[in-house]
Amino acid sequence: MFRIVRTPIVLERLVRAVRDPAAGAVVVFLGTTRNRNAGRRVVRLEYEAYGRMAAAEMRRLAAEAERRWPIRKVAMAHRIGLVPIGQASVAIAVSAGHRAEAFAACRWLIDRLKAIVPIWKREHFRGGRVWIGPQSGTPSRRPRAARRPSR
Amino acid sequence: MRVRLVFFAALRERMGARAERSVEPGTTVGALWRALVAERPELARILVRFAVNEVYVEPGHRLADGDEVAFFPPVSGGAREAS
Repeated sequence: MFRIVRTPIVLERLVRAVRDPAAGAVVVFLGTTRNRNAGRRVVRLEYEAYGRMAAAEMRRLAAEAERRWPIRKVAMAHRIGLVPIGQASVAIAVSAGHRAEAFAACRWLIDRLKAIVPIWKREHFRGGRVWIGPQSGTPSRRPRAARRPSR
Repeated sequence: MRVRLVFFAALRERMGARAERSVEPGTTVGALWRALVAERPELARILVRFAVNEVYVEPGHRLADGDEVAFFPPVSGGAREAS
C-alpha cells in the first residue's frame, strides 16, 4: 500500500497491509506536524505532491529496502492538503522476521522519502506562509544524488 | 512535437499547474528549462529538479512527443530538518 491521501492517515490500515505470518516485528513510523520550526510558531502545515510520481517513488524505495534488508512488507502513506498541528502527515510500516531489520529499514525509508519523494511542505504561521526546503539559490547541475542512497 | 508541462510548489505559483508546449525533436529537458527562464527571467533564481513521465531525469535527457515534463524545487525534507 503506497498512498497519497487527503484525509487523516489511518494507521491501522498500514499495519494491516504489512501483516505477514512470517513476521516477528512490525515497526511503524509516524511523522507529525510540529507547532514550532526555526524558532517560529507554526499554526498549520500544507503539503503538495506530484501524486502519481510520489506513489511510484514510494514503491521504488520499498523495493530498494527489500533488496537491502530481509524484510517482509512495506506500506507508506503521505497526507496532502492542510494538516492541523499534531496530526500525522506521513506514516511508514515495515514488517520483518526480526525487529532489527524492521527498525533499520523503516529508519532508512523515512530518510529517503523525505529526500526524494516529490512532496513539498509549506508552513503557515501568523502573518504568512513559506515553502520549506531549498526553493531558490544557486542552480545545481546535478539532480540530487538521490538514487544511490547512503547508508 | 508537443509535450505537457507540470509545475509544483513555488514553481506552480509562478507558472500555473499545467501547460503545453511545442518543442523541436531532440530538445533536452535542460534546454526546455532554459527556454522557460529566457521568457521569465525571475525563474533563474529557482532551484529546479526535472522528471519525465514521473521519473527523475538529468538535464541532458531528450524529450519525446507526448512526454509529461515536471519541473519542481527540491523536496522539503533536507538534512536540516529531522522530524
